Amino acid sequence: MLFLLLTITPAFGAIEFETQVKPILEKRCFKCHGDEEQKGDLRLDLLPTNLLKDRVATETWHDVRDALNLSEMPPGKEPPLPPAELNILTSWITQEIDAVIKARTSSDGRVVLRRLNRTEYQNTMRDLLGIEMDYAKNLPPEALSEDGFRNNGGTLQMSDLQLEYYLEAARKGLTKAIVTGSRPEVFAKEFTKTIKDKNRGSHILDKDQQFVVKLMEYPEEGEILIRAKVRAQFAEGRGYPQLRAAIGYRADVQAPRGFLPPVDISSEDWQIVEFRTRIENFPLPSKTQSKFPGLLIWLDNAYAEGREKPLKARGKGKKQKITVGPLNYPQIEVASMEFAGPIFDQWPPYHHQAILFPSKQRPDEEAYAKAVLRNFMSKAFRRPIEDNEISPYSRFFSAARPKMASFEEAIRETLTMVLISPDFLYLVEPSDSKKRALGDWELASRLSYFLWGSMPDTRLFSLAKEGTLSDPGILKKETSRMISDQRSWQFVEQFTDQWLDVGALERVAINPTYYPKFDPALKTSMRGETLHFFGELFHKNLSALNIIDSDFTMLDESLGRHYGLTGPKGSRFERVSLKADDHRGGILTHGSVLLGNSTGEDSHPVKRAVWIRERLLDDPPSPPPPNVPDLDSTDPNFANLSIRDQLAEHRKQVSCNECHRGIDPWGIPLENFGADGLWRNQILRKKNNGRGMTRLPVSPLSILPDGKDIEGIADLKKYLLENRRDQFARAFTSKLFTYALGRRLELVDEGEVDDLTARFIKSDYRIKDLIHLVVASKTFQSK
Amino acid sequence: MSRKSWHLPRRTFLQGVGASLSLPFLECMGANIPKAPRPKRFCAIYFPYGVSLPKKRNDESKWQWFPDKEGRDFQFNESLKCLEPLREQVSILGGLSHPNGRRIGGHDTADIFLTAAELKGGQLKNSVSLDQLLAAKLGDDTRFRSLSLSVDGGVGEATRSSTLSFSRSGQPVPALHHPRLVYNRLFGKEDKSILSRRQELENSDHMLDLVLEHSKSVRRKLGKEDQDKFDEYLQSVRQIEERVERSEKWLDIPKPEVEVRGLHLDADDKTPGELIKTMLDLMFLAIQTDSTRFLTYQMGNMNGATSIATKFPSLLGFGKNQHSLAHGWNKPGGAEALGKWDRFRAEQLAYFLQRLQDTRENEGTLLDHTMVLYGSSNSTTHNNTNYPLVLAGGDKLGLKHGAYHRFGSDIPLSNLFVTMANRLGMPGFKFVDSTGEMTELTA
Repeated sequence: MLFLLLTITPAFGAIEFETQVKPILEKRCFKCHGDEEQKGDLRLDLLPTNLLKDRVATETWHDVRDALNLSEMPPGKEPPLPPAELNILTSWITQEIDAVIKARTSSDGRVVLRRLNRTEYQNTMRDLLGIEMDYAKNLPPEALSEDGFRNNGGTLQMSDLQLEYYLEAARKGLTKAIVTGSRPEVFAKEFTKTIKDKNRGSHILDKDQQFVVKLMEYPEEGEILIRAKVRAQFAEGRGYPQLRAAIGYRADVQAPRGFLPPVDISSEDWQIVEFRTRIENFPLPSKTQSKFPGLLIWLDNAYAEGREKPLKARGKGKKQKITVGPLNYPQIEVASMEFAGPIFDQWPPYHHQAILFPSKQRPDEEAYAKAVLRNFMSKAFRRPIEDNEISPYSRFFSAARPKMASFEEAIRETLTMVLISPDFLYLVEPSDSKKRALGDWELASRLSYFLWGSMPDTRLFSLAKEGTLSDPGILKKETSRMISDQRSWQFVEQFTDQWLDVGALERVAINPTYYPKFDPALKTSMRGETLHFFGELFHKNLSALNIIDSDFTMLDESLGRHYGLTGPKGSRFERVSLKADDHRGGILTHGSVLLGNSTGEDSHPVKRAVWIRERLLDDPPSPPPPNVPDLDSTDPNFANLSIRDQLAEHRKQVSCNECHRGIDPWGIPLENFGADGLWRNQILRKKNNGRGMTRLPVSPLSILPDGKDIEGIADLKKYLLENRRDQFARAFTSKLFTYALGRRLELVDEGEVDDLTARFIKSDYRIKDLIHLVVASKTFQSK
Repeated sequence: MSRKSWHLPRRTFLQGVGASLSLPFLECMGANIPKAPRPKRFCAIYFPYGVSLPKKRNDESKWQWFPDKEGRDFQFNESLKCLEPLREQVSILGGLSHPNGRRIGGHDTADIFLTAAELKGGQLKNSVSLDQLLAAKLGDDTRFRSLSLSVDGGVGEATRSSTLSFSRSGQPVPALHHPRLVYNRLFGKEDKSILSRRQELENSDHMLDLVLEHSKSVRRKLGKEDQDKFDEYLQSVRQIEERVERSEKWLDIPKPEVEVRGLHLDADDKTPGELIKTMLDLMFLAIQTDSTRFLTYQMGNMNGATSIATKFPSLLGFGKNQHSLAHGWNKPGGAEALGKWDRFRAEQLAYFLQRLQDTRENEGTLLDHTMVLYGSSNSTTHNNTNYPLVLAGGDKLGLKHGAYHRFGSDIPLSNLFVTMANRLGMPGFKFVDSTGEMTELTA
């Protein structure tokens, strides 16, 4: 049966009032709440059952459900409801209330005005100003929509705090983008020797050594270049050493510094490695602080194994003990290091001239300001600009100019105003009461925020200007171009992160008592595995069924080592083939999912189950009802049971079983994976008396709600592929469509989602094909 | 202070936009900063998932959060024992809850801790929180009207909000969560001169006016749904204007100097002990320097699935994550495990209260002039009644302490809010479902 469990519409598998609910009410409730008696002023036999039409009835049914959940009804003297009946009653009420909520909050299938979220804002500011900077640093974290997305227009809110930081970020960015003054002096210096740095200074970078240099003269702003001449010394059976640069200074006790992303040194020949960055993004010594003056630049070897690389060697006082890595450790030899900065292509730099372009109008400040505004606003608002739109901004310029020292300063402030305007911060799509097709400019923005998480590029803009972007052939070609462009990594990262909740990793702390060898830095690699895995499916246009089971995964050196697989040698993620007895393949075996849905000590079958239902099947279980009694187990043996058996105990209680029989069985088959994401045959558990550990056998046996016996992960994957394939396809389509539209799906979208799903299945579940289908869909192209 | 001519059209325009945008009289803003003779403050600290409540017969009963014996002779159990030195400055309150929260989801009630609202409709619209209401009426005299902090920051999602504060229109007020950001706002030195900052503020003011004016035409083009969303923006512009004007007033008064040593301004979710302590330190400093008088701090929300605070107990050596501890309280060993976490949290409170108590102000202490409400909106996890609550401070404002009070379910928690607000400067105050004062708590 296609679409067995639909969450958006209760139409299939829904509970029917007349045949299922009413008989129970007649038998159990009408005696006191019916024709003859109306205890508590409640009469159920006449209570309207069409909740969509009757708000008061909705409230009453809501109360009925609470009374049932709390076992207040039937009253003590009456026999309690058999669980199956209770379940039908409460599920029916829930189903109807959900439908009401959905109808009431419906935007009629139209995309709601939405502002740029943090990531989109960051990308847009960077692309617009051409300056790398953390624009979103101070912005409050984004609210998550009910279905887990961060680009839902209805959920994204605005506040004065938000605006205040937009204002600040705009000023900072523009101060960098528009330069004043003459060509700055370039500081350049070459070092062939490291300073001693408490005996850790060295030309050979092993585990704890560093090549450190001090600059007494350096720029405080602008792009800088660090160039190192290095070579690797490989170690048998280990990955490549990684060169990492850091910039900072020495304070009283600590050395505040910021790190640049490490680079694999994959050759034993001498080579030049370059790092480019903007220096003001790093902690710089205060010019007045004189105790330890000077800027420090460190080079070290970021290769780490097992545990996180300690930042400081242990030991006290002057005689610092240096941890020397094992003999067999990949090393880097540093011959020299150069520093240069600020560096620029021309003066004024390109990003300056993109805004303040050369023009004959230049001497007439007012006229030039208008020209500058038109050009900048058109990019910032992502559409052509009418003359009258410029006037508030040019008015501001005219008022501000006499008070400011230079034209540049006044124009910076004027452009700041553009960057707090709603046309910039929101994807504004004018509309009236009727649905309409998007214009080409709007389509350009929809596309670019979907696939790049940023503003359209010049080509999209020019196609919009020609009015040809919406031509199906051109649109398809452009979509392909955008997918091939490296900016589409934004889509991979954002969509995967939000759909699969990869961020769960950061909310779980691994307990070292249980996993002494676990290196928290592995979490980064685990996230990388999932993102790159999805990226591989996306870019190679592979079947989405690989998400359930695959014969490969994407690993870097440290995660390969963690999994016990032969992976690549470097920190880049590469495709690694899997064999059946590796117990891996598919996203359910990814460390990110397993660890993120664990307690940090053990698996968490309930979390894992909810994750499967929510993320892979789009059938999230309802949240816990109010005032449910806790599991009151005083059995002293309880703590000695495996979680599987504890949950079985838990389900013996009627009030828990009602929901949990539909949840727990999905998580049990993953019991062979510990919190660290590794295969296990035993569960480590602290002894009851708190002393020492005990081991329990793993039992991944489970009976799914539909009665199917499942033993372990392989069975579960097989079951999902055989019995839930279409449900998964629909879930995946819904999630992708939700992300593409930036809003929650509603009843009116049902037909289109069905249609997209059917075509997605027809295309062998190929992800790129689905993207094209979504882009071509009517809803994506209309407001 | 003379107003520029472009102010008037803005007000006229705003009045046309909707009732939600009521604008305070600009005349008030231009007034000089009056020196209040005696600051009256309110501070709320919230923690999620309730506490350990083992039964009497249990050998873990000493981990029962509520004290033994009601009235003045109450005996602290283990979790709150650390409050013993402050016994005369605190009241323990039992049996209270928000009636509107009793029937909503077991994890949905953090949102209404300070609002008492019935979360209505599909949008789960909230209403104003106590701190924001007080701040709106009484917060004119400080550099910041109010300060909202939380572990997760931002606003979160409805029913899992990561802030305790809600504006007068029921919008969540985003909370700050990086200590350094809080520090910079409150005490950070500006790298620009007063002159250039004044110019910037003046520009900002002018900019915001023009943006509002221009927004009028944007709004007109939008569909109905979008207009509602857009009004959030307009409202934010209006609020930030107030803030800009306030900053202008305070421009010549340097920010207070505070001791940075000992503050872990870069603490984050990986170092929860330092993080919580630093936030409390910053709150103390905000109070001590009279930078604001209305503060909220949410030490985690009940979103086990997304709150970064979920892992705090495991990181701090309490064995399990927050949600598991809360769920395990009636399993063997569970009451003690959760009790120890309860105690850790109470120790943070005690530390904060003690700092306030140790600092003189007028003829009393800072604590005497600050009402601190500490608690959760679950008794044990999922249970929306019998909130565990500590009310502290405010002796010089008319509160009376030193006892453990239990209330019946007919007394809404809003009565406590009324009792506090009446003494903070809002006589005759009513709040949502309040029915009166709590005379047990008044001197």
